[in-house]
Amino acid sequence: MGLPDFLPILIIGLYFFGTAFYVLGSALRNERIKIMALVLGGVGFALHGLDLAQQLAGAQAPGPLTSGRFLFSLLGLGIMFIFLVLWWRLKMRFLAVVALPLALVFYATADATSGIKATLPPMLTWLFFLLHIGTLFASMAMLAMGAGAGAAFLHLEKRIKTKTGLKKFQQDMPSLDTFDKVNHWVIVAGFPLYALGLVSGFVWAWLSSKRVFSFDPKEILALVMLGLYAYLFHQRLAYGWRGRKPAVLLIGVFLLMVVSMLGINFLVPTTFHGFKP
Amino acid sequence: MDKNIFLVGLNHRSASVDVREKFALTSVTDFEKSLLAACPLREVLALSTCNRVEILVVADADRCAEQDITEAVLRHWAETCQGPLDVLRTHTYMHQGLEAVTHLFRVAASLDSMIMGEPQILGQLKKSYRKAVETGTARVIINRLLHKSFSVAKRVRTETAIASSAVSISYAAVELAKKIFGELSGKTAMLIGAGEMAELAATHLLTFGIDKLYICNRTYARALELAKTMHGEAVFFEDMVERLRGVDIIISSTGSPTAIIRAKDIREVLKKRRNRAMFFIDIAVPRDIDPDVNSLDNVYLYDIDDLKEVVEENMSARQGEAVKASAIVDLEVDAFATWMKSLALQPTITDLFGRAEDVAQRELAKTLKRLGPVDEETHEALEVLVRSIGHKLLHEPICFLKRRTREEGSAERFIDVTRRIFNLDGDAVNPDAHLDRRSAAEEEPLECECCRDPEPDQTESGDQPKQQ
Repeated sequence: MGLPDFLPILIIGLYFFGTAFYVLGSALRNERIKIMALVLGGVGFALHGLDLAQQLAGAQAPGPLTSGRFLFSLLGLGIMFIFLVLWWRLKMRFLAVVALPLALVFYATADATSGIKATLPPMLTWLFFLLHIGTLFASMAMLAMGAGAGAAFLHLEKRIKTKTGLKKFQQDMPSLDTFDKVNHWVIVAGFPLYALGLVSGFVWAWLSSKRVFSFDPKEILALVMLGLYAYLFHQRLAYGWRGRKPAVLLIGVFLLMVVSMLGINFLVPTTFHGFKP
Repeated sequence: MDKNIFLVGLNHRSASVDVREKFALTSVTDFEKSLLAACPLREVLALSTCNRVEILVVADADRCAEQDITEAVLRHWAETCQGPLDVLRTHTYMHQGLEAVTHLFRVAASLDSMIMGEPQILGQLKKSYRKAVETGTARVIINRLLHKSFSVAKRVRTETAIASSAVSISYAAVELAKKIFGELSGKTAMLIGAGEMAELAATHLLTFGIDKLYICNRTYARALELAKTMHGEAVFFEDMVERLRGVDIIISSTGSPTAIIRAKDIREVLKKRRNRAMFFIDIAVPRDIDPDVNSLDNVYLYDIDDLKEVVEENMSARQGEAVKASAIVDLEVDAFATWMKSLALQPTITDLFGRAEDVAQRELAKTLKRLGPVDEETHEALEVLVRSIGHKLLHEPICFLKRRTREEGSAERFIDVTRRIFNLDGDAVNPDAHLDRRSAAEEEPLECECCRDPEPDQTESGDQPKQQ
């Protein structure tokens, strides 16, 4: 049985109202509104998953795996998934304020890219999909959550450090230590995934066109991100970085990711990753 | 209303501490009994703490016309405390009717307390009420009034943020520590020097589950002594900086004229502890910790002035919440006034018939639904049947109430019971509603509010002035 045609609009609506209600609930410190927002977001997440499953089941592989709609939708779903894991493991429900709008943006972007397909690498397979897209998207979703936690850390830390007092919603926020833990896990788990995703991409590029690196803008930016991510990984684990510095750098890496995903994919002609109509 | 409620009292605003001391009631129970004997009153409840004395009395309206009730209460109070009546009169406030109800609700909700939102007053009020019930001086009106005041206090605490932020320096420090570290279990603290406020903050930290407390003092014997009482570990003053590598929270309160902890020391310590966050609480004047320490990453320093500022902000936030709380109190006062009016016989009979009619109509509707279509005659017969069953069942209780009213002039005790049995006021019934009286004293330790440290778990702090 097919899903209704208005499903994308419904999912966008659910994410939109989920975001709006969560922000409102946080501002008013109203637990009911926040729970309502999370329920809306949860329903949106479930329908979003169904939508993706239908895309996978209903189309001829490997086409949909590289369609803009599928990929951006997958990234949105990944962000929601990582948020749910962080909520479950670290009680970071607060990150809904980041996860819901990002899921909304990526799902809406996905919907807008219907019909646009990237140039297919000749040897695209499911294994490639899992290794390259799966790992990269998982790490990107983590980056998004890490950036959200980092921004919250910087904001809260500034208030505590400068002794400007905590407003009501800031009193409800998790502790600095909790935000820093998110940063730690995003770096520890996200960097290896990102590296694996990138390496698998280069391997497939070599297998398909006998070229590892093609000076594609996306590839250049990805390498810059990998370098920064590696530096962050090293400083955090070997040098004991905590708090402000890793939070700032992680936000920087996340912003590069946004440039890479939304800027380069849509605006710059690239070898494999362009969605430019 | 054929009963009048009066409230006579004094508090920290109306009377200085020497007046409060002079007119504090040493035995509230004896006072209540003697007041009932001396004045034409129906019910009495007295509350005496170090910050206030409240005397709540209920009298028949016709007796109030004959005698000045508040004056009689004041006179008896002055005699009991053997103090000058004139002095007492100038420092007391008097409320009557719904004003008295409003005042009591505000007291119970801690809106009238020195530290607004503190929780002790409710426990003290419950204790006084329990005693009054035991001695039999609290009856229908005071029973209802006090139960209502407890529920108003609960509403205010749950629906407003009046008690949500720290209003003492030591507790504000603990709140900040929680904002930095989250859970305090697994963390360690060091108390440098001594001082009441610093020791209190350390005690709060222990209450919130820190793993270990180090005590450091220039006089090692003093450190040992404190370590013994606080279940901590004494540290030599010379080893202090070295030991800081394993300490998350530092409370300093020494008499040193110069800083004893400097930024360069902490820079080294941070390296050794791989930048794990540190929170310094400097309660000393002059300050013990170099202010530059706060500029280091992952280090947070609050001195006494910073903490005072936090407390002041929280206090003003509580003032803002008091507006919401007052609105709740006003609503509940209206509800109480409605109940007072319903204590007359006629409204209760009307409500009883109304309830019977309501039940009859609902049951009739259910039966008709089950039976399916019936002719008009059957429908009418069924309607008469259910209605008359209701009326017959109520006949005896209503005759009883009328008889008691005729014989005693007033039967509010039975009317109140009837209203409660049939829940004519539509009150929400807690499963443990009737435990209130018995458990009132068990819920909280009920020492005098100024003799305990009031903010370990949402309670206030002892480094504040005496409070209630």
